[in-house]
Amino acid sequence: MRRTIRLYRRQLGAHLRAALQYEADFWILIGAAALMQVVGVVFLGAIFAKIPELNGWTFWEVVVVYAMVSIAEGVGSLFFEGTWRLARKINQGEVDYLLVRPYPVTLQVMSSEIGLNGIGNIVVGSILLGLGVARSDIHWSAGNVLLGILLLVSALVIKVAISLGTNAGSFWIPGPYSVVGYGIHQVGELARYPITIYAIGVRLAISVLVPFAFVSFFPVAVLLGRGGSGRLGLLTPAVAVYCVLAARWAFNRGLRRYEGAGN
Amino acid sequence: MRKYLTLARMQARSVLAYRLNFVLSLFALMFQLFAMLAIWGVMLGSGRNLNGFDWGHMRAYLLVGFVCGALVSQGADFRMAGRIQDGMVAVDLTKPVDYQRARFAEVVGGAWTELATALLVCAGVLLLSGPVPWPGVPDLALFALSLVAVLPLKFLIVYMSGLVCFYTQNYLGVHWARLIIVSLFAGALVPLSFFPHWLQYLAAVLPFASMSATPALIFVGQLHGGKALALIAVQFVWVVALWLLARLIWRHAITRVTIHGG
Repeated sequence: MRRTIRLYRRQLGAHLRAALQYEADFWILIGAAALMQVVGVVFLGAIFAKIPELNGWTFWEVVVVYAMVSIAEGVGSLFFEGTWRLARKINQGEVDYLLVRPYPVTLQVMSSEIGLNGIGNIVVGSILLGLGVARSDIHWSAGNVLLGILLLVSALVIKVAISLGTNAGSFWIPGPYSVVGYGIHQVGELARYPITIYAIGVRLAISVLVPFAFVSFFPVAVLLGRGGSGRLGLLTPAVAVYCVLAARWAFNRGLRRYEGAGN
Repeated sequence: MRKYLTLARMQARSVLAYRLNFVLSLFALMFQLFAMLAIWGVMLGSGRNLNGFDWGHMRAYLLVGFVCGALVSQGADFRMAGRIQDGMVAVDLTKPVDYQRARFAEVVGGAWTELATALLVCAGVLLLSGPVPWPGVPDLALFALSLVAVLPLKFLIVYMSGLVCFYTQNYLGVHWARLIIVSLFAGALVPLSFFPHWLQYLAAVLPFASMSATPALIFVGQLHGGKALALIAVQFVWVVALWLLARLIWRHAITRVTIHGG
C-alpha cells in the first residue's frame, strides 16, 4: 500500500515538474479555472438578488452544492487527470507499456497527467464551501463534523470513480477523444444546483443512472437536514463504494478487450 | 475571393467528417442551457416577471444566446493553436492567402452546421416547453441583421485568443479565460440587466454584449427601432475595430515565431 502511494506521488511529481516549466501557462490555467467558478456564483448571485429562494434553497445553500462540484472536479483534475488521457493511450496503443510495468494499470493511467487547473477549482471551491457553510443553518455537533468529512470524502470518491468508469468507455468506442467520459461529464454540471429544479426524468438520471447528485446535492441535503433528500443522502458512502466497484469492473472488462494498436 | 470560397467549402465538409467532435463541443453549451432553463423556470414560475422577462421571454432570450454561443464554437481556435504550437503555421505563412481572411473563410464555412445543430436543439426545447413569443416583422429584420454581425465579431474574439498561442505554450487556459469573460459580459445566461450597475457599465463599453445580448434583446422585444439600430451600429463598429486590432496583433505575433528544425 505504501509503495503504491509513494509511486503514485512520484509519478504525479514528474508531471508537475514538467508542467511547471511553463510558468505563464501555470498561472493562466489556475486563474481561468478559478474565474470560472467565481463567475458561476456571480450568475447565481444576480438571479438570487431578485428572488431569495430556489425551491426552498437559499443562495448560500445553493453555493454549497455548487462548491462541492467545484472541489470534486478540482480534485479530479489535480490528482487524477490521467483518467482523461485514457482514450488517447488506447488509440495510440500506449496501454502496451502500462501492461508490462509492475504497478496497477488503473493507477498508472490516472497518474499519467496533472491538471494544474484543479488548484484553481479547489481553492475557489473551498472558499465558497466555507462561506456557504458558515452562512447556512447547519448544527455543528461533533457527530455532524465527522459525518460531514465522511460525506465530503465519499462525494470526491464518487466523482473520480464516475470519471474512471465513463472514460473506460473508450475501450469500446475507439477514437482519440473520450466521447463517453466527456459527454457524461457535462451531464454532471446539472448537479451544481439543487436537483429538485429538474423534471423527474433528469433527477432520476443524475441520482440513479450516473449518481452525480451524490457528489453535491444529497450530501449537502444531509447536513442541512432536508427531509427525504437528507435521508437518501446518508447513502452517499454506500454509493461511493458502489461507484468504485462499478468503475473497476468497467475498467477491467475494457482492459480485457484491449488489443494494442497494430504493429 | 475564389480561394477563400474553397477554404470555406473545405471546412464545411470537414465538419461532417468529424461530426462526433462537433456534437461533443456543443454538449457543454447545451447542459449549461438546460441548467439555466431549469433555474429560470423555477424563478419565473407561476407567471412571475423579472426585469421585463417572463418565462416565455426568458426562454427566447436564452435560446438566442445559445445560438450565438454555438456560432464559431467548434474549435477554430484550437486548430490555429495546434498549428502555431507545432510550427505548422510556417506552412500557412507560405500560402498565397491572407491568414486572417483565410481563417474567417473557414469559420464561415463551418457556421452552417453550427447554426443548424443549434436550431435543432432550440426546436427540441420549444417542443418540450411550449412556444415562445415571436417578434413582429420589423423587429425580426433587425434581429437578423444583428445576428449577421455576431459571426464576424465572434470570429475575431476567437481568432485573437488563438493568436495568444504565439506567446504561451498551453492554449487551454486562454480558451477557458475567453469563454468565461464572454459568458459573463455577453449576457447569454443571465441578462445584463440583472447585474449590478457597475458591471452593466463595464459590459456596455466592452464588445462582448454585441455578441449575444443585442440580438437576444431585439428578439424578446426589449430593444426597438432607433435604439436597436444604434446597438446594431455598435456591433458593426466593433467588427471593423477588432478586425484592425487583430491585424496589429498578428503583425507583432509573427515576429515571435520560432520554428524548430526540419
